[in-house]
Amino acid sequence: MNALLAQFLAEAADLLTQIDEGLLELERTPGDPELINDVFRAAHTLKGSSGLFDFPELTRLTHAAEDLLDAVRAGELPLDSGMTDDVLAAFDLIRGWLAHVTGSESLPPSAAADAAVLITRLRTPIGGEAAPEPTTVEPGRVPAWLAYVDEEWLAATAAWLRTTSSQMRFVRYVPDSGCFFRGEDPLHLIRQVPALAHLDVIEPIEWPADHDEYACLIGFVFAARAGAGEIGYLFRYVGDQIEVADLDGDAIQRYLSGETGEALKVAAPASGDDPDLVTEARAVLAAALHALTTNPTGSAHLISVANAITNAAHVLGDPVEIREPDVVTLTATVTRLLGDTPPPEEPEGPGSVDDGGQVGSRILKVDQAKVDHLMELAGELNVAKNSLPFLARAAEEEFGSRDLAQRIRDQHAGLHRIAEDLRAAVMDIRMLPLSVAFARLPRMIRDLGRRLGKDVELVVTGDDTMADKDVIEALADPLMHLVRNSLDHGVEPPGERRAAGKPATARITLDAIADGDAVLVDFADDGRGVDPARVRRTAYDKGLIGAVESRSLSDADALDLIFRPGFSTAEEISDLSGRGVGMDAVRAGVEKLGGTVTLRSEPGGGTSIRLRLPLSMAVTQVMVVSVGGQRFGIPVDLVAESVRVPAGEIGRVLHQDVVVLRGEVIPVVDLARVLEMPCRPDAAADRAIVIAGVAGQRVGLLVEQFHREVDVLLKPMEGLLAYADEFSGTALLGDGLVLLVLNLKEVLGLAARVG
Amino acid sequence: MTTVLLIDDSTTMLMSLKPILTKAGYAVETANHGKDALDKLGKGIKPDLIITDVNMPQMDGITFVREARKDPGLRFTPMLMLTTESDQAKRAEAKTAGVTGWLVKPVAPDQLLGVIKQVLPGA
Amino acid sequence: MPLELGDTSATLTGVVTVDEVEPFAAWLRGTAKPRVNLRKCNHLHTGAFQAMMRFRPKISAAPADSFLAGLVLPLLEGSSGAPIRQESDPS
Repeated sequence: MNALLAQFLAEAADLLTQIDEGLLELERTPGDPELINDVFRAAHTLKGSSGLFDFPELTRLTHAAEDLLDAVRAGELPLDSGMTDDVLAAFDLIRGWLAHVTGSESLPPSAAADAAVLITRLRTPIGGEAAPEPTTVEPGRVPAWLAYVDEEWLAATAAWLRTTSSQMRFVRYVPDSGCFFRGEDPLHLIRQVPALAHLDVIEPIEWPADHDEYACLIGFVFAARAGAGEIGYLFRYVGDQIEVADLDGDAIQRYLSGETGEALKVAAPASGDDPDLVTEARAVLAAALHALTTNPTGSAHLISVANAITNAAHVLGDPVEIREPDVVTLTATVTRLLGDTPPPEEPEGPGSVDDGGQVGSRILKVDQAKVDHLMELAGELNVAKNSLPFLARAAEEEFGSRDLAQRIRDQHAGLHRIAEDLRAAVMDIRMLPLSVAFARLPRMIRDLGRRLGKDVELVVTGDDTMADKDVIEALADPLMHLVRNSLDHGVEPPGERRAAGKPATARITLDAIADGDAVLVDFADDGRGVDPARVRRTAYDKGLIGAVESRSLSDADALDLIFRPGFSTAEEISDLSGRGVGMDAVRAGVEKLGGTVTLRSEPGGGTSIRLRLPLSMAVTQVMVVSVGGQRFGIPVDLVAESVRVPAGEIGRVLHQDVVVLRGEVIPVVDLARVLEMPCRPDAAADRAIVIAGVAGQRVGLLVEQFHREVDVLLKPMEGLLAYADEFSGTALLGDGLVLLVLNLKEVLGLAARVG
Repeated sequence: MTTVLLIDDSTTMLMSLKPILTKAGYAVETANHGKDALDKLGKGIKPDLIITDVNMPQMDGITFVREARKDPGLRFTPMLMLTTESDQAKRAEAKTAGVTGWLVKPVAPDQLLGVIKQVLPGA
Repeated sequence: MPLELGDTSATLTGVVTVDEVEPFAAWLRGTAKPRVNLRKCNHLHTGAFQAMMRFRPKISAAPADSFLAGLVLPLLEGSSGAPIRQESDPS
């Protein structure tokens, strides 16, 4: 399943729960504005996200519910229990649909019919459209009524639509038989359709002998290039009598060559046991029954209903013949068919969870704090486990039992493996594939490309590389900037590319690969590249560099200028890349994650940008120490050991405190002094020293006290502290305390200056 | 000449709509409520189009349409209802009674003439 | 007068409204080989169109109105209208 869809399903499940709970709570405390607001917001979010996918019924139904909730929120009407029922029913229906989506990535065939009923009910209290919105056939699906359209004309139109890669809007309009008595003249209405291209008539198969001239027995199918809004407006009084389908040349061609058409037409004959087909056939019958009860007149209408019933009956292995369709016979037939055929058994096994089932069943959404807590516990387990070697040594040295010592070491080895696996597993919970960060790019490239008249092909590799959730989320913005920049400035228009001997279609490659504890994302285009000379000139013109610098800068350094705030290579700022928000935003975003951005470019040959990001910004193991009563973290991988030495053993060599450890002289830095913390050590007490290896050198850090080692989620420094180089980041400890993690390299540099 | 019958209990409404129609070349007859309109129709007015308000004393718009449809001469006459946003819910009922369509108050001149053109062939 | 009914041919003029539907349909029903002149017809009410679809008269003169000529006339002269094709065309 597409990662974006998976995420939507997980999110939708949450929102649905919120809506349910909110509505039920509202029944207990009616009118609570907070609650109404919460429910409305959840519905609003669901509608918004659903728009990313091709589920028009889902969006329309959610929209209707949202409108009702909005009216309630605005105090225009109180939420009564009938409305609550309708809203709950709407979201129950949606929950069922999403279960279907989880299994098949599409809405069930009955969605449109089911949604229409609820939409009408939801809109009634707010007086919405009394005439229901016209039914829109789902994209790509060719409605059966296309059979009424002249084939020769269809073939010619299909060819033309394919040449121009455009679409034609087909509308079926079946007026009810009494329409003349409301002053309606369907043909007059059709006459007013803008850009009308073709008209066909749906006649009754047989004209009744005692035909009343005033009963409208015909329907129409027409094709037009009119906008959906124009059609909607024109037919607003009779919206329930039209069905709209937008078809492109390919869809029509497939229809003409018999490849598609209603799914039921090509269904295997008399199967009766394929659960999907049976479900679909039952849905058709249910829709037919609904149609018969709501609109019992209009013989053209009856004929199409009869056709649908015949097809469905065929699929159910119970063929029926309907000679002269009338409401009574049809209703009887449908009722019999529905009664005779039990709904198919819920298919079991993974991959086919359906109606009423769980949504996004294999995804569990967990509060991030819980995962963080789990991670903390895994860290503590590590620390606890680390005491075992000491115990083993004690067993051997103090109690003289080598056997026991060995058994403790064996236990330690086993525990160590489990603790490491646990830590990896917890980290893994936070890992997402990079495809999540890449998901929006293809669409964006397509849209921007069309707007700019540039043809761009995107090639993605390695999008299954995993990285921490925070990294993935934070990567989205920089990537979008890169795409904008590339399309805006890098990729040339097709003409220019051809002139340069390149293929007219530009290529953007996006390549992700794991590299140790980092992930590399290479973004490259084969556009015009960045010209270092022009960058120098622009940077000079904008006052970013001086004249001397502009001459002395190497090409590579010149290219790096484009990451400076306020730099933009395009002479004119376009509406895409925005104003001065460009590569500097990319670099800032990536560096905030603890990553780096580098750019290589060949004039005329393209630009490639490498983002290097920590695979997980999440976990750093730090040793907690206190200095001057405050706790700090030191990255554990730099810590060699921690020792306690009597105060008298601290010596002084050339203005530098030192300690001699196993014959090695190690300089000692007083962290309290460097960090300007108040500290009056007890002269007699032992000194606590952390021995760390920094840049190949061993150095002792004098601290007040050691604490445990912990795994922390290291966050970059923000706000005022962003300029405090001696810290590499902050971390939230289990007890809510914010821990500053030391950047030892900077600390030692500072120490050297403080002296 | 195409004749339009305007029914509204609000004189202001009648005064605002009538000149628009007259200026566009329609003959305009007016009535103050449903009963008044039925009386005038009984006296021989032959409108090509009827535009009626919904809430009126004596006889409301929907009842008027239902009654008027019984007259063989008015079976097929387009009848538009003037509604406000809040009585949109009545539209379903109005359609059953025989209303062709509706106009939402306040009605802009373009909108009024556009809808008349839409429902009245040859207007 | 939008509707002129002769022995075998009818002429429709201007806007044919719902009021003309009943007499027109009755004429079509009762006429053996009806012919309809649409030249000056500007609009056909759906009821009148429906009656023509049912009784399939020969169209003796095409309408000048572009909507009727371009989109409606082909339907009136459509494939299932066998009677039209069988009749010899005097013009």
